[in-house]
Amino acid sequence: MTAAAIRLRRMVSSDHPLPWLAPLIAMLVVFTVYPLIYNIWLSFHEYAPFKRSLVYVGWENWAQLMADERFWASLSVTFTYFFVVLTVELVLGMLLALLLDSDEPGFGLLRALLTLTLVVPPAITGMMFLLIQDPEFGVLSYLLERIGVIDSTTPILATGSTALFGVMLADIWQWTPFMVLIFLAGLRSLPPEPYEAAMLDGASGLQVFRRITLPLMSKVIAVAVLIRGIDLFRVFDYVFVMTSGGPGTATYTVSLYAWQQTFSFIKWGYGATISLVTLALILLIANLFIWRAKVRW
Amino acid sequence: MVQSNATRTLRILLAWAVVLLFVFPLYYWVTVAFKDAREIFDTPPNVWIFSPTMKNFEEVFGISFGFVTQREVLPGGGNFYMAPRLWDSIVIAVLSTALAVAISTVAAYALSRLPFRGRHHFVAWVLSTRMMPPVAVAIPMFFIYKDFGLLDTYTGVILIHALMNLPLAVLLLKSFFDDIPQEIDESAVIDGASRWLIFRRVILPMAKGGIAATAVLCFIFSWTEFLFVLTLTQTGLKTVPVVSSSFVTSTGTAWGNMAALGAAAMVPAFIFILLVQRQLVRGLTLGSLKQ
Repeated sequence: MTAAAIRLRRMVSSDHPLPWLAPLIAMLVVFTVYPLIYNIWLSFHEYAPFKRSLVYVGWENWAQLMADERFWASLSVTFTYFFVVLTVELVLGMLLALLLDSDEPGFGLLRALLTLTLVVPPAITGMMFLLIQDPEFGVLSYLLERIGVIDSTTPILATGSTALFGVMLADIWQWTPFMVLIFLAGLRSLPPEPYEAAMLDGASGLQVFRRITLPLMSKVIAVAVLIRGIDLFRVFDYVFVMTSGGPGTATYTVSLYAWQQTFSFIKWGYGATISLVTLALILLIANLFIWRAKVRW
Repeated sequence: MVQSNATRTLRILLAWAVVLLFVFPLYYWVTVAFKDAREIFDTPPNVWIFSPTMKNFEEVFGISFGFVTQREVLPGGGNFYMAPRLWDSIVIAVLSTALAVAISTVAAYALSRLPFRGRHHFVAWVLSTRMMPPVAVAIPMFFIYKDFGLLDTYTGVILIHALMNLPLAVLLLKSFFDDIPQEIDESAVIDGASRWLIFRRVILPMAKGGIAATAVLCFIFSWTEFLFVLTLTQTGLKTVPVVSSSFVTSTGTAWGNMAALGAAAMVPAFIFILLVQRQLVRGLTLGSLKQ
């Protein structure tokens, strides 16, 4: 037996973690590290139709990115989407969690019903909201028209100023329950003592919420914001299905823009460049957040 | 807290009203699946089904319940025959779940029990792969798969779905293993058992519930995934979320058929999620919050 084989055997039989982690490391290297390197390589190349192959273009894609107004517009759409949806889901989620935090009969059923939205494929959710917002026979459009919020000449998803909100609605419907469930679990595990003390001191409900509940829930809120925030920043399914970025560029998110550049406009290298920016931004923001909010795994 | 009867009743009513508002789009979608085209396009829209029909389901699944003839619903008989796509979804979700769970139970055991230098960084690396935007993986993967002939294959999609679920599965299983007291391992080590034996005979059986919950979540995320399948398949296979766009035709959208397929695809996911209610929050937060 060679020395290497002996060492390998010793490693497998001992408490060395490498054999246990090897399959995981292999998967992650093949499917994240390699594509990442490939993507960086791709960002310095572009498909040349006349040659039918990729040619080296240097920093051209990156220079183009800096000057591309549609890219900056997509970044602004993504950030708008991110902040608006996150805020709505947080606030609404917290309100609903407080409402549902009760041992009344039937509330268990209510909580179970809320989980149902989480397992609908987002692409189907998109279709669902496309249907109910249809200007001619959509339930939601009909109701909003009746109350006078919109009129039939400005369909929600086909009007520049409202289209993004129409898409956000699908996201909010699907993922507010995610916040509710997490906050409910947090609320249910709070210690009773601070609340008893506050009652003795005669604190108001709002004071109790601000001074006791919120601080005690800070870790739970941070985790929810992190996980939801990552998904919001890379939103693709809803916009792809509901508006494909339109009307104009009103709902172009960065992910969608990168995908379309690569696969619809055959600008392989440029699409890769945009996707790299998305990646860098998410990693930066998320890790900053993890560090500042001291989220631990 | 002491609540008067009036506020109590108000709270119950409000809670039901809000939850039913959230359920409404699902309810409406199901009614569309049972409506014929005329009723779907009613104005003002009706939220009840006045003459339920199975026609949409028959066309999508190629089974005749007597509303359309068997000939019309057979493969090739209709453009909306989607039974094979359902099969694609099942194969991909089941096998990618199996792969992800197999890799991550082993890895999670090491991360929970075998301390090594840089373990914290390793966990952070696994977590950071969860942050990668799918589009930044899908674009290079498309070209890599093209070179290796993996485009449009089960293998290709299964691998990428397993990868997508790995961070969740590893972190979640680690949290379940962390719940099992270390002393159990240690006493077995003293008795002379190998790590592998302890893992198989002691830890796996004790973490059964956690592993099942992890598998359910992996299944659901593969079942509902959109971007990878959209990018990495062409005509050979498609999962339900991606194929739903093929109901949009030049002559209009076949909402009834789309709703029938969508509603049917939700049923298994609904059942699964109700089975793991107790571990759901832990799963959704990648093991960082325990219920």
